[in-house]
Amino acid sequence: MTNQTGPQMNKKNPITDIVAASLGKRHRKELRFKLLGRLAVALGFLLVLVLIADITFKALPAFHQHWVKLEISYQQDWLSIEGSNRELLDGANYRKALKRSLYQMFPQVKARKDKRKLFKIISSNAEFTIKDYLLASPNYLGQKTAVWVRFDDDVDTYLKDVETPGEANARVDQKSAQWVKALADKELIEKRFNVSFFTNGDSREPELAGVKGALTGTILTMLVTLALSFPLGVAAALYLEEFAPRNRWTDIIEVNINNLAAVPSIIFGLLGLAVIINMFGLPRSAPLVGGIVLTLMTLPTIIIASRASIKAVPPSIREAAMGIGASKMQTTFSHVLPMAMPGIMTGTIIGLAQALGETAPLLMIGMVAFIVDVPTSISDASTVLPVQIFLWADSPERAFLAKTSAAILVLLGFLLVMNTTAALLRKKFEK
Amino acid sequence: MVDISSSESLLSEDTKINGTVGNCFADDAKMSMRNVNVFYGDKQAINNISLDLARNQVTALIGPSGCGKSTFLRCMNRMNDTISICRVEGEFKLDDEDIYTKKMDPVLLRARVGMVFQKPNPFPKSIYENVAYGPKIHGLASNKAELDEIVITSLQKAGLFNEVKDRLDESGTSLSGGQQQRLCIARSIAVSPEVILMDEPASALDPIATAVIEELIDELKEKYTIAIVTHSMQQAARISQTTAYFHMGQLVEMGSTSQIFTNPTHKLTENYITGRFG
Repeated sequence: MTNQTGPQMNKKNPITDIVAASLGKRHRKELRFKLLGRLAVALGFLLVLVLIADITFKALPAFHQHWVKLEISYQQDWLSIEGSNRELLDGANYRKALKRSLYQMFPQVKARKDKRKLFKIISSNAEFTIKDYLLASPNYLGQKTAVWVRFDDDVDTYLKDVETPGEANARVDQKSAQWVKALADKELIEKRFNVSFFTNGDSREPELAGVKGALTGTILTMLVTLALSFPLGVAAALYLEEFAPRNRWTDIIEVNINNLAAVPSIIFGLLGLAVIINMFGLPRSAPLVGGIVLTLMTLPTIIIASRASIKAVPPSIREAAMGIGASKMQTTFSHVLPMAMPGIMTGTIIGLAQALGETAPLLMIGMVAFIVDVPTSISDASTVLPVQIFLWADSPERAFLAKTSAAILVLLGFLLVMNTTAALLRKKFEK
Repeated sequence: MVDISSSESLLSEDTKINGTVGNCFADDAKMSMRNVNVFYGDKQAINNISLDLARNQVTALIGPSGCGKSTFLRCMNRMNDTISICRVEGEFKLDDEDIYTKKMDPVLLRARVGMVFQKPNPFPKSIYENVAYGPKIHGLASNKAELDEIVITSLQKAGLFNEVKDRLDESGTSLSGGQQQRLCIARSIAVSPEVILMDEPASALDPIATAVIEELIDELKEKYTIAIVTHSMQQAARISQTTAYFHMGQLVEMGSTSQIFTNPTHKLTENYITGRFG
């Protein structure tokens, strides 16, 4: 570009002008890129914020519900029993007692059709509520007492929607609305925190449905997944990285592990159904089988991340240990593995987070079944949170809308707890 | 550093290598190597080298980069076993015991022939743990008091104890470069080896730390047999009793350090130590 070779003290170096001329363009380019970067980060952040805010807003109604105070008469003839021993009380007709007590509170309701409608504003679970109440304090037998029971989900949703009851809406007609209004006027309605959402299993009745079953199922499934995939994944990665010879076989294995990571998860579900349930006869819908299937899915992720992290341990550490006579095994377990641990933990948590949100393979092994009981062991039938969300999102009752969002929040909360634990453990290992 | 005149002289008759000149055998050899050939795949890295390490002496291996001196050093405690494409031929004897037989476990060999590396490589653990690791895995101490004793004497021998005695719990990586290298030396002498191999142990250190290490090596030769690879000819001259000059995988000349540095026989050796080549 220039013929000048020697330094010329007095003249300005022409290179300076050429470089200076391009500087403006370079700086503008950098500025543009920075702005784009900020925009991308802001956009991502905004989207996440909108999503969380939307879910939280929709989920709020699910966290409380309306209860009504009824005057219940535990008359023996209404309960259809004679005597008062425990067995009789257990088998008594509480439905009749509940109905009669309710009709007594609304003497103006005479027609059969109206009476049936009146009974429908109370949760179908109310007869068990008053039963539990009497069983807890049997001396109320033959007495009249006030018992709090749940509203039906339509009335509950109605009360959450309207400011003052009285007008009809799509699910609650004029008559029911008037009855609810009468109860509200007598201050017999109370808004309570919805404890049963966290203590109940699933139910067809939205006012009774809770996430405990799905949450327990998720915890059990994740425990099985962690207990299987972590040791297997780390052992496989350690062997392949530190001990295995480099030859065609290990190359084939490596390619296949990478391929496995890209297999659609529903395929693993089919495998679980065909092999684990049908061939080995493990129970269907169980967290044990779910955990095994999710392990198959999680393993490639853990192996790939662990291998990368083991590879990143400086060779000088291996040489140092071997130079003082440590065996391969001692070198690997006392130096390489601890140094690779933070990376392995990151890989494991990514794998588990993936497994946590997985639905498709679990549908195949029957974890989509409607299960009311909270599982107590890994071989009990159960469902998991994402499947529960899927089931509730599919339900026609409007009250399930809020439940769906609330279950998503629980799932996100679980994820947060899991990641925080991993981050804390990671910090401990990095020390 | 290759200038045109020395490249030309490489082609001349007097720079041809016709076997080793000088005396490469010792009267009292701790280790003796005979007709060693080392290959990395198809490439030959060491070409028919024979030499002895004299007992309780420092033997310096010098030569330009890529001449095979580090490879040779690593063969002496079978560190090259871990490289799958590396093939070693020839005879290696430690006190008349062949070290490349099936009978010799590399783990035992490395406990007897320790190694200190170019870059200080302490474990990311406490200073105490760094030194105690070797004795622990070999079961050299039967209780905590004995282990403490080994750690303290090793640190003392490495001239590090006074600097770290109040902070043995601190991480080994928190020390300065020179201290880290002395920690690595303490770590290798904690297992009481017979031979210590050093691969450019001072090349990553400043002159003051280097001087400390050199002094240490001079003291260590009372108890150990030492082989050291170095790029610094002054260092080789200062600390070694015997010097071997490697060139392109061959041993060109070997002899007493004073002779090599004052009156080299081979033209290549002369070129290298006078700084005209290398």
